Amino acid sequence: MTTPLPCYHCGLPVPSGGRFQARILGETRELCCPGCQAVAEAIVAGGLESYYRHRSESSANPEALPKALGDELALFDRADVQQPFVSHSGELAETSLMIEGISCAACGWLIEKHLRAMPGVGEAQLNLSNQRLRVRWDDARLPLSQLLHELRRIGYAGHPYQADQAAERMAAENRRVLRQLGVAGLLWMQVMMASMATWPEFNIDLSAGMDSILRWTSLLLTTPIVFYCCTDFFRGALRDLRTRHLTMDVSVSLAIGGAYVAGIWSTVTGVGELYFDAVGMFALFLLAGRYLERRARERTAAATAQLVNLLPASCLRLDQDDQPERILLGELVLGDRVLVQPGALLPADGIILSGQSSIDESLLTGEYLPLPRGEGDSVTAGTLNVEGPLTLQVQALGDDTRLSAIVRLLERAQGEKPRLAELADQVAQWFLLIVLGVAAVVGLVWWQIDPQRAFWIVLALLVATCPCALSLATPTALTAATGRLHQLGLLITRGHVLEGLNRIDTVIFDKTGTLTEGRLALSAIHPLGALDQDACLALAAALENRSEHPIARAFGRAPVAAEQVDSLPGLGLEGVVAGRRLRIGRADFVSALAEQPAPPIPGQNGQWLLLGDSDGPLAWLVLDDRIRSDAAALLDACRARNWQVVLLSGDSSPMVAEVARTLGIADARGGLTPDAKLEVLRQLHSEGRSVLMLGDGVNDVPVLAAADISIAMGSATDLAKTSADAVLLSNRLDSLVEGLAVARRTRRIIIENLTWASLYNGLILPFAAVGWVTPIWAALGMSASSLLVVLNALRLSAGGDQPRSRHS
Amino acid sequence: MAALYVMIPIAVIIVALAIWLFFWAVDSGQYDDLDGPAHSILFDDEDPRHQAGVDEAQDDKDPRA
Repeated sequence: MTTPLPCYHCGLPVPSGGRFQARILGETRELCCPGCQAVAEAIVAGGLESYYRHRSESSANPEALPKALGDELALFDRADVQQPFVSHSGELAETSLMIEGISCAACGWLIEKHLRAMPGVGEAQLNLSNQRLRVRWDDARLPLSQLLHELRRIGYAGHPYQADQAAERMAAENRRVLRQLGVAGLLWMQVMMASMATWPEFNIDLSAGMDSILRWTSLLLTTPIVFYCCTDFFRGALRDLRTRHLTMDVSVSLAIGGAYVAGIWSTVTGVGELYFDAVGMFALFLLAGRYLERRARERTAAATAQLVNLLPASCLRLDQDDQPERILLGELVLGDRVLVQPGALLPADGIILSGQSSIDESLLTGEYLPLPRGEGDSVTAGTLNVEGPLTLQVQALGDDTRLSAIVRLLERAQGEKPRLAELADQVAQWFLLIVLGVAAVVGLVWWQIDPQRAFWIVLALLVATCPCALSLATPTALTAATGRLHQLGLLITRGHVLEGLNRIDTVIFDKTGTLTEGRLALSAIHPLGALDQDACLALAAALENRSEHPIARAFGRAPVAAEQVDSLPGLGLEGVVAGRRLRIGRADFVSALAEQPAPPIPGQNGQWLLLGDSDGPLAWLVLDDRIRSDAAALLDACRARNWQVVLLSGDSSPMVAEVARTLGIADARGGLTPDAKLEVLRQLHSEGRSVLMLGDGVNDVPVLAAADISIAMGSATDLAKTSADAVLLSNRLDSLVEGLAVARRTRRIIIENLTWASLYNGLILPFAAVGWVTPIWAALGMSASSLLVVLNALRLSAGGDQPRSRHS
Repeated sequence: MAALYVMIPIAVIIVALAIWLFFWAVDSGQYDDLDGPAHSILFDDEDPRHQAGVDEAQDDKDPRA
């Protein structure tokens, strides 16, 4: 077989005998599916085909987006539904939409251009970093549902976005930090000019009056730096002192506070040195370091912590006459009867009144095969109805559902997360003790020699040794490493991950969706009759392509079409392909067509489907959840680091042991509830182990929250992503292997930085103690050492694919 | 030297203005998206007012580009 042609729109392979084409950029292009074709045609028809010239990544496959329900979109036109997220000013309405399906910057251009060209749209602005679209439009001419539909047409899904409190607080915090940084920068430039003029090294012949004016000016300009920009340092220091810790914040506050107070003294009395410029520089450098670190992390947090898609936004309620009516989830009450279509999420816990189907609970429990459910069975909110329509009676809603119980477990687990001590704070503790000790001794000695100079020398010592480079050592390295990891597809959302990865000694894997792909794929075809594998697959695919069942995707696209396809929930499919009546599904159902007894299933793992016609069975098709191709490499990397590997799965099937055997994991436990998983983690913690957790499902969420470090897969539920410390966006386990290497290099750079910074401080200490350090030397030394640290950290962001020369 | 008596207050006023301007820029969301505008400038070729110039430049280089 030749390598499949990639779809021009989404990059997925085009099935052989492709039937989908579009004329893009003057050439006829092959596309993989009707979805891509429709989107590509809409883009070309809108005159925006140069999108394809500009984009740097393939677009998202439109069929991967959550399904749009026409009547669900129409719900968004109701005024009471719009009220929380749409605001009106004059004739124009304004709203924020969360956009799904953005793959590169050209998507932003496409969306903005397409919407702006629509009648009634006043303004459309997409924020690429958090993928939020702000639209102002005339909703009398263009209903919101139409707007969402237009987004769909060009291949994106829009969801009404309502900032929750956490997101709002984060945005406000960002702006505050940016303001502090800006104020520090602008004022520092002025302070520098004013206070440097008073330095004797510049030989400016100042009159006494001018000297005092310059001092007062710099005092005036420094005051906002101290009281507005540095509040976070002081607050942090106070908090740490209360808990009897000496941290970086304490030494920073001491240096800033000391220099500022001495500056006031010197301004009022007119004698002594002025260190205001040091205060400004110090504040600016530190704020810049922290701001960059914050931004590197937040960009990722914003992109992942968005949609809570665990429950559907709306559902179909049956009224007295059994007529379905689409309502919002919030309008549902206990005892209502709900119709759940195949392919839809269950909106509430309930009991099945009628219908026969199978339910995919993989996200909630880790079971990887859909479980058959029929009349009288209980089902859980957030699980997926796979096969046939079901009528449920609602028994629990909102906080009472099993799903919410897991979320509550998550909140409890978060409190148990151990805090990893940071290297910088350990160094800061020693550093501060030494500096304070030396300062006391120097002060005492100078008090004996020359009491007049003692104070100024101690002050010079404190300012000269102020740990500017030391406090920059960690944030700069972390920022550079976070950026590097982002390129690899690993997003760090919390600060302790990189340092902590080096202290891990145990790693817990989830099975379904983490070590395996989490969806059923065709693993084998065993022909029973005259037809070979390819022919059987073609027949099976023809039937399955007419089915909505998620399993159907495993068969790929069919070269031939089937007719009269009937779906019999719980049994299988029946249809006619090329004049031949076929059945696929359960063995007894398929054999009944040929009026033969059902053959026994020859294997154990996976889901076995029989394909047959009226003459008898044709082939067994085995569907299974495949192990990710790079899982073995990750396991090897873990073993190379001497980590203990544990596999915890909610799946109770023999698949757990099978995966463990294939990957060589000695400790594998199956059939665990979220509670039991958390219990295992507690056990490991009580043995004094540091645990890394890798998972994706809702059932992993409590463990993700409580583990020392947790990483969620990019395909995980949003709840799992938000409770994890890092997200593996690329979904490739080998980027994690590289990530581990980056973490190791980061630690080395941090240690180098800390060493150099301490070395500088150690060198300048004797000079300061002897009284040779004047403000100009303090400023020079501080900026040189900070620059050195920053440049060293930047080495992390520059590739690092080749082995670099070692520093001794 | 006497000029400094005027220049220093002016410098202070200017820096106050700069800070006010900066606050306004932060609050109006100009720093919210630091990635998007960097890319969108690349797509400005699509502007019909620029198109003639772009075509000309492309004809010079490579007609197939």
